[in-house]
Amino acid sequence: MDFELSSEQQAFRDAAKAFAREEMMPRAREWDEKSIFPVEQLRAAAALGFGGIYVKEDVGGSALSRLDAAIIFEALAQGCTSTAAYISIHNMAAWMIDTFGNDEVRKRFLPKLCTMEHFASYCLTEPGAGSDAASLRTSARREGDHYVLNGEKAFISGGGASDIYVCMVRTGEPGPRGISCIVVEKGTKGLSFGAQEQKLGWKSQPTSAVIFNDCRVPAANLIGAEGQGFRIAMAGLDGGRLNIGACSLGGAQFCLDRTIEYMRERKQFGTRLADFQALQFRVADFATELESARLLLWAAAQKVGDKAPNATRMAAMAKRRATDVGFDVVNGCLQLHGGYGYLRDHPIERVLRDVRVHQILEGTNEIMRVIIAREMLAN
Amino acid sequence: MHIVVCVKQVHDPEVAPALFTINEATNAVVSVAGLAQVISPYDEQAIEAALRMKDKKPDTKITVLTIGAASAREVLKHALSMGADEAILVNISAGVLLDSYATAKFLHEAVNKIGSFDLILAGRQSADLDAGVVGNGLAELLHIPAITFAKRIEVVESKVVVDRVVDNGSEKIETTLPALITVSNEIGAARKPNLRETMRASRKPTQSWTQADLSKEPMEATEELIKLFIPKKEKHCEFLAGTSAAEQASLLVRKLRDARLI
Repeated sequence: MDFELSSEQQAFRDAAKAFAREEMMPRAREWDEKSIFPVEQLRAAAALGFGGIYVKEDVGGSALSRLDAAIIFEALAQGCTSTAAYISIHNMAAWMIDTFGNDEVRKRFLPKLCTMEHFASYCLTEPGAGSDAASLRTSARREGDHYVLNGEKAFISGGGASDIYVCMVRTGEPGPRGISCIVVEKGTKGLSFGAQEQKLGWKSQPTSAVIFNDCRVPAANLIGAEGQGFRIAMAGLDGGRLNIGACSLGGAQFCLDRTIEYMRERKQFGTRLADFQALQFRVADFATELESARLLLWAAAQKVGDKAPNATRMAAMAKRRATDVGFDVVNGCLQLHGGYGYLRDHPIERVLRDVRVHQILEGTNEIMRVIIAREMLAN
Repeated sequence: MHIVVCVKQVHDPEVAPALFTINEATNAVVSVAGLAQVISPYDEQAIEAALRMKDKKPDTKITVLTIGAASAREVLKHALSMGADEAILVNISAGVLLDSYATAKFLHEAVNKIGSFDLILAGRQSADLDAGVVGNGLAELLHIPAITFAKRIEVVESKVVVDRVVDNGSEKIETTLPALITVSNEIGAARKPNLRETMRASRKPTQSWTQADLSKEPMEATEELIKLFIPKKEKHCEFLAGTSAAEQASLLVRKLRDARLI
């Protein structure tokens, strides 16, 4: 077992860090305050290969591993956690098309997704089907060469802005086996969007309901076979959970680095904060928690990449741990900044608002525990 | 077309000066954590210039050549990640200081071993010592024309046309191939390596030569570095005498003239 990153992985991390520092960090506050979806910078990221990190090369992807992706997302999240998280969702949707789509579908959709000329959204959750995703009700009725979709998807990242919607819809019986995965393109008649949601964080990416009203989608847009959709959705989420965990680690590492700088400068009672032992211990704990969460996440990324039998459980453990630790460290860093941490002039409150949702989405951290316990107790 | 780009590894010129310390006994920069070694930025732009030619003519082959310690492999890897095709390290011991002449001679031997080429590119100067003579020295040893400070390079059949930066403007110069061109920063920003090329870089051919592969003559510096030091910056504040603004102004002018500042 070798815990060192390869020189390529170090190069990927350096490239992502440089992009985060130069292109994202200086703009993140404005994106957050004005709810700007940064199309230009997203395409610049894609030019470096971040639009299809683990998509195959023949359609423009970078063909890297899950572990490589985790390293990259952590670095990107140090520039703007919300934007990095959107890039991760785009990658998850692209990977699902790449892995489960036939060659025609791959070649039709993926080249423009890898360059981010087109943006992608993942549509699973519904107003009445959140944690209980297998109870989803959006229907897809086969009519000749088309499926006719009716229903509504909720909390869709990229909703309204994305060009490609990878949707889980019901084509058959109730429960997971009646679900299929289909790509709906923006502009399809019968596809519309709800109002933009007003959120605590994640403001650099739009979020809305995606609504299907007799929306006719070519049957050729089906990903995988009918009835395979739930499996595809869950496979996508194994990777998505790693990515979101990595984004929490990146946000937290960014805050910790700034906090250490602040503690070296800030003096109270005539002493630098860095010289108070009680505060030193806080920083030591933050660093230790982050490092342990990172190691678990990397191990899980390796398992997901290798399709190991316990990959889903490991991804759930890593997501739960990284997003909880991520939030706690950011919150602790805010505390160490005192009143300044609460101000918009310091980026910590923004990262706090951004990482908070990571404990909720891609499966809540309660659902992560359900997944872990289910496998351990074999219930 | 075959382009050879000569590059050098330097201490990152962007790092804070506080990180630089010099060992006065060895006349060498002391390596500390945080003091990264990078490709000299002008050389990175020379690679960019070569890649732009390759973008237009995809059958162009780009070989990157460096002389340095084993750590210089990182610089070659960066060049390969940008899109160069192959790389050669002429491996010398860490800590050996080559002067410009020895470097040019070494490169000359290496280029001879490479064999055929159409164009040699190099940065206008290195970002550490700023001598700016290696390119011309190499062209002289190879008996080929050299054009310095290029901001635009275009190969037209067997000729190369170069827009060259001069004071207050530029001039256009044409010469026959093979030729050597040094590249100036006006050529524009170097591209960033993408993930795919970074992955490919490790599979591209990289050769490592030693001095024994090139020549039996020892390649020793002909210059002696007597003292390497960080200049001390001192600030003195002086109040101008005089009772009126006009009197003080003329005194200021005189002082500036005496200091040869105006």
